[in-house]
Amino acid sequence: MPPKRSQTAPRSAGSKRNPASKATPSTAVSGKPAVKRSRDDDRDAPSHGDEVSLFAGKINGGDNGKGKKSAVTAEVEEDEDDEEFEIDTGSSNGDLEDFLDRDALESPADDEDEEDEEGDDDDEEGYNTSDIEAMENASGDEQDDFDDASSVASSSIAPSTMPDSNLTLDQLIARHSYKPDENFDIHVSQATGGRPLVGDALTGKFSNAKEGTGKLVPSKFVKGAMMREYDDIEAGYGSESSTEENTNTIGNVPIEWYDDLPHIGYDVSGRKIMRPAKGDELDKFLATVEDPDSWQVLSPTTAEDKLLQKQVQLSDKELDIIRRLQNAENPDADFDPYQETIEWFTGKGNEMTMPLSAAPEPKRRFVPSKWEHKKVMKIVKAIREGRIVPNRPAAEKPKVYGIWSNDDVENPPHAMYMPAPQIPPPRTVESYNPPEEYLFDEGEKREWEQQEKEDRKLDFMPQKHDALRHVPGYENFVQERFERCLDLYLAPRTRKVKLNIDPESLVPKLPSPKELRPFPTNCAVQYRHPANSRVRCVSVDARGEWVASGSEDGIVRVWDLGNGREVWRWNLKGGPVQAVEWSPNKEECILSAAVAGRIYLLAPLALISPHVAQTTLTHLNTAFSSSSASSTNNISGKPQVPDAKWVRPSEDERDRGMMVIVEVQGTPKQVTWHRKGDYFATVAVDAANKSVLIHQLSKHQTQSPFKRTKGSVQRVAFHPHKPHFFVATQRYVRIYDLVGQQLLKTLMTGLKWISSMDIHPLGDNLIVGSYDKKLCWFDLDLSTKPYKTLRYHTKALRSVAYHRAYPLFASASDDGSIHIFHGTVYTDLMQNPLIVPLKVLRGHQIKDGLGVLDLRWHPTKPWLISSGADGEVRLWSS
Amino acid sequence: MAKIKKRGESGAAKNYITRTQALKKLQISLSDFRRLCILKGIYPREPTNKKKANKGSSAPASFYYSKDILYLLHEPLLAKFREHKTFAKKLARALGRGEWALAKGLEERKPLARLDHLVKERYPTFKQALADLNDPLSLLCLFERLPRDPVPGKTQVPHEVTAECGKLVAEWKVWAIRTHALRKVFLSIKGVYYECEVPAGRSGETVNVRWLEPWEFKQTVPADVDFRILLTFLDLYRTLTSFVLFKLYADENLVYPPELDVKLDAEGEGIGRFKLVERAPDATAAAPTVEGDKERKITKKDVKKSIRSIAHSSAATGGMQVDEDEEDALIKDEPSAEEEFTYHPSKNETDASDPSNAPLPTYTSLLTAPSSSGNSHDDKAYTIFSPYTFYLSRETSSRTWEFVIRAFGGKVITHPSLNQLSTTPETANSITHILLDRPMDASTMRALQGDRKWTWVQPQWVADCVNRRTVLPSGEGSGYEPGGVLPPHVSPWDEEGRDDRPWLGTEAQAAAGVAQDEEEDEDEEMQTEEGTTATAEMTSAMRAAAENPDDETLVHQAELEAEAAGTDHAVFRKQLAVAVRAAKASAPSSSKASTSTAPAGKTAAAEEDLRKIMMTGKKQRLYEKMQYSNNERRQEADKLASKRQAIEKRKKKAAK
Repeated sequence: MPPKRSQTAPRSAGSKRNPASKATPSTAVSGKPAVKRSRDDDRDAPSHGDEVSLFAGKINGGDNGKGKKSAVTAEVEEDEDDEEFEIDTGSSNGDLEDFLDRDALESPADDEDEEDEEGDDDDEEGYNTSDIEAMENASGDEQDDFDDASSVASSSIAPSTMPDSNLTLDQLIARHSYKPDENFDIHVSQATGGRPLVGDALTGKFSNAKEGTGKLVPSKFVKGAMMREYDDIEAGYGSESSTEENTNTIGNVPIEWYDDLPHIGYDVSGRKIMRPAKGDELDKFLATVEDPDSWQVLSPTTAEDKLLQKQVQLSDKELDIIRRLQNAENPDADFDPYQETIEWFTGKGNEMTMPLSAAPEPKRRFVPSKWEHKKVMKIVKAIREGRIVPNRPAAEKPKVYGIWSNDDVENPPHAMYMPAPQIPPPRTVESYNPPEEYLFDEGEKREWEQQEKEDRKLDFMPQKHDALRHVPGYENFVQERFERCLDLYLAPRTRKVKLNIDPESLVPKLPSPKELRPFPTNCAVQYRHPANSRVRCVSVDARGEWVASGSEDGIVRVWDLGNGREVWRWNLKGGPVQAVEWSPNKEECILSAAVAGRIYLLAPLALISPHVAQTTLTHLNTAFSSSSASSTNNISGKPQVPDAKWVRPSEDERDRGMMVIVEVQGTPKQVTWHRKGDYFATVAVDAANKSVLIHQLSKHQTQSPFKRTKGSVQRVAFHPHKPHFFVATQRYVRIYDLVGQQLLKTLMTGLKWISSMDIHPLGDNLIVGSYDKKLCWFDLDLSTKPYKTLRYHTKALRSVAYHRAYPLFASASDDGSIHIFHGTVYTDLMQNPLIVPLKVLRGHQIKDGLGVLDLRWHPTKPWLISSGADGEVRLWSS
Repeated sequence: MAKIKKRGESGAAKNYITRTQALKKLQISLSDFRRLCILKGIYPREPTNKKKANKGSSAPASFYYSKDILYLLHEPLLAKFREHKTFAKKLARALGRGEWALAKGLEERKPLARLDHLVKERYPTFKQALADLNDPLSLLCLFERLPRDPVPGKTQVPHEVTAECGKLVAEWKVWAIRTHALRKVFLSIKGVYYECEVPAGRSGETVNVRWLEPWEFKQTVPADVDFRILLTFLDLYRTLTSFVLFKLYADENLVYPPELDVKLDAEGEGIGRFKLVERAPDATAAAPTVEGDKERKITKKDVKKSIRSIAHSSAATGGMQVDEDEEDALIKDEPSAEEEFTYHPSKNETDASDPSNAPLPTYTSLLTAPSSSGNSHDDKAYTIFSPYTFYLSRETSSRTWEFVIRAFGGKVITHPSLNQLSTTPETANSITHILLDRPMDASTMRALQGDRKWTWVQPQWVADCVNRRTVLPSGEGSGYEPGGVLPPHVSPWDEEGRDDRPWLGTEAQAAAGVAQDEEEDEDEEMQTEEGTTATAEMTSAMRAAAENPDDETLVHQAELEAEAAGTDHAVFRKQLAVAVRAAKASAPSSSKASTSTAPAGKTAAAEEDLRKIMMTGKKQRLYEKMQYSNNERRQEADKLASKRQAIEKRKKKAAK
């Protein structure tokens, strides 16, 4: 069949439109396929020049649009077209008749197979849609061969419409009076009437896809080869693609984008859909003239399909729907809002039956189960035979039995296992007849009653009964038991380590003081000052013969150490004497004393041997004789404010032993000598940056070693044998190298306010006393932190001192006591100094909160000199 | 590099769990949790750092050891609780619907929780169980006499529970009597404390079990006492005690539980209502024991024990009863006692006369039979009353005294009443002691006594004898005679404690102490008189010398001063002596207490003071704390001593 073969390509091209045309008869009720058809027609009309095609299109359109008005006409016209028509129609008719017959005989269940066959037949018969032809035409007129074919194809429209003419009117009405959705169901249910339609519809739908073979066609790409070409799968009505009316696949894009293009989009296969020709006014007019129905084209009953860019004729049905929607009615014309209620369950005779299911009651529901019966009988038999005893109590374990055996082991100890403590055994207090001393007296009774229950040491009041029969019941018994129970399960438990040691073991083991003798133990001599004026300072001379003391009445006294007799005195008349200090040089006898603004260098010449007196005088006066300057000295030679002024007292004063006066700024609080007796340093806290001054006696020179001092300097000291200088500010002790002129070390004392300082004669250890009751021992080789910080005085420390020869040191405090310590320093660097407290010396009275103000050791003997606020200086000897 | 530790994944945060978390984890109610805690012995802990344990929160919470809670998850009791809950629901439903048959069936199949696994779990060894027996016994003693609804309208105490408590306590006492395990008795105002020495295992270890029995009065029960808690504790304690008793009875080769003599029980007999039955060596099947005991039955120990008992019985000649024919011997030896104890001597006689009957040994015979365990020396110390028969007057508590006297080997008669004793001369003749707790004039006593030799004592005498392990003198002047002024009753546990009071030893010592005190007092008075006159004219040196008279230098100093002042040497010496005495008087009383060691102690104290300077701050604080607590204790003792002295003095003055 040459035409068929030649048609394959166009057919596939127009395949999408096929279902629409095919579906037309079956879905005639819905307006949409009809619309499509008319669209096709519209498109066809302009592109085709020849009459025939134009007519055919129009007839078709009219045919669909008018609801199969003029099937006969179409037949006539088609007749003119093609001679093959007869054959085609005949076959199709025969087919149909055959189908109808069978349909009438067979059950609907067999339909499908049949339909398949029919579909096959149908396909084989021809590609008989006008759409294909139309498509073919639209796609181009170039191929003349195809023209013929198309004309042939177009003629084959008839068979599809033919069966319609055979349908009875009833069927048509029935078909049109149902909603499209219901169509299928109705056809199924209507055994006879709907059959051909269904078959017809299905013949269109079911393609030869089920053949699974396709057709072999010469390949377009390889010459001489064959390729298998499959027919398009026609979608059924229910499928998505069949209801798809939009054959233009461009999607939701503005159609204007295609304005400049010849096509308006693409079909499913990706081929261009050419723009339908829009006829000009003449065409429209001609259309109106030639087609009596065409007035509708421009009437309000058309609507524009934007996607396909053409006017679509709305069917009556659609118009009806629109009207209904406008009137806010149900769009379905067949919907009856006032249906009669059918009382399925409550109607007469149906009241209680509730026929949810009409299935009859199965037999098993009312016949006793055989298997159950068998089971029950088994049990009955067992019971009869005594194998089963109903309600027999389960075999019970005995209530008590031996759970402990001899080889039980305790759980291994665990840190979290804390057994509850047992209640301690009762004491005699609890006795019904205790010894009388256990009974409370009035005070204790009152105290016990006033105490809170938790605070009481005893939870009962001791009582004494003279006979056992008098003992009443204990009223808190239940309460106490209950509390014990609560404690057992509610009281949080914790492990407390109870330190079960002898408190004496905490006290360090130290050698007994008896083994460390000699040390001062008692007061040997008292040097009383008149009017009990406070003795701020005291000093013993280098030979250990004289004691100098400076009291607040401004008088420096020299006492005979041995018998406590006052042997010399200088009235300095400059307020309280702040400091007195003998020169450490044994060849001389110079006493320095400080009052506000002045430092006196004194020498009790009459008391000393002439040889010593001579050296002393020489030492004191050489500078006066060598230089004219009895005035100032400034090491840097700067002309400004002098650090000090060296003044030679008058002859009279010199006769009384007052040899040199050094005038300085502020009030010097401390005078300390260098070991050689030429230099001495003074500290005046209130003299700003000139607070520390170093004076040279042989040259009558004074220098201020620091331009600026960090913090207020409290004490200074010379190292016993190195050119080092110790400066104690309130919190720190700084060590300077006087030769290198640099800071060597800063000692962190941890004290709040240093009051006193002394350096061990070997030079490696240091003690610092403070106003915050502490004494620090520094081992300079060890650390810049204290080796030991001791706190034993109850008040501020005033003075600390090392003995020059013995391993002793002492501290004096405002609490009126002097503590004597043994302090051995070992040459072995690995061994720490040994400190042993030896003795507390008490004797000084506390006056106005001040106790012992100063103390000094005797240079050679284990004796101590102390001065107190009670106006006494005491010598403590061993 | 070490692994980075995450917060809250180790240490206290993981070790501890709060109660709320625990409840959530276990998915039980608070009351169930509490019950579980009581039964399982789980208790809250006090973490060292609460904030760490609570994951940073400082909100108050009680912490449990999280492993405790994890173990609780697998506790069979928990399942039982759930079962019971569903049971309760079903029962309520059945009752609500009136389905009585169903309810009855449910009630019959009620899930019952058993606690025996807990006993073994909490006390893996018998020794541990004994060590924790103080609380159980005390609570059992309390419940023994509790009414059905101690707090009206609240939780009730079922009668069965009280009855079981009474039974357990009585069984415990029966055991103690048989083994002479009682060691100490203390009559306190709260009740009577007893202490038993219980053998804890093969190696001869013993555990002292002490319990408190309230006086036989109605208990006052505060309304806020939650009896649900107490009953939960009681559940556990009952189970524990019964298992302990089983073990003790088994060790004594007795059947547990002992049979109850229904007749005696109805007559209101206390301890005597049990029939102790020895387990026949071959009759294990008859005895209610578990299979586990069968193997244990004939161990090496048992064999040894039986050998020893045979040897013992053969060694004991006349006075001791022999196990084999104890029935006859007993009846011959002391028929009256037998009569008094069991009230059916005739039955015994008939039984004994019929050898084919082969009677089981009765409670009394077993009691009087010497205990096979324990050596003879101990027996002597703990059977001090064995030669005696006590008559308990009706006002004395037979519950206490029957137990104590029998435990120490004595025999007890309680019937008939004192006036009618003469009607039963046999009974009356056997009596050696009469326990009387009411005043009775000598003539009445003589009349009652007739020509018999009775010792009349107050109950405290028994307790004191027991605690001293000797029979104390009880005649006129001892204070123990009826109506006499009793000597103080002292706790037997005091010597275990902190302070000893020598004045409690003997009267003579106390008297001597008083005399000494008096002298001192006189001295003091004289001194103070002189001192007040002398102190006025004292110099500081003199004062210093007086304060330490041993310090020669100070004395010398004072002497020098006196010389300077122009006083005579003799006068000075006198003055010094006066000053020294004044100084002593002014010193605090505490130092006076230790006068004997004063001079040596003082220097020692001073030395110690100085050494303390060298202590570190931490040690110093610790030392101080220790000294504080020691001082407290010393002060308490001192206070008692001084009170005692004051009382003695007052008494002496009154006597004058």
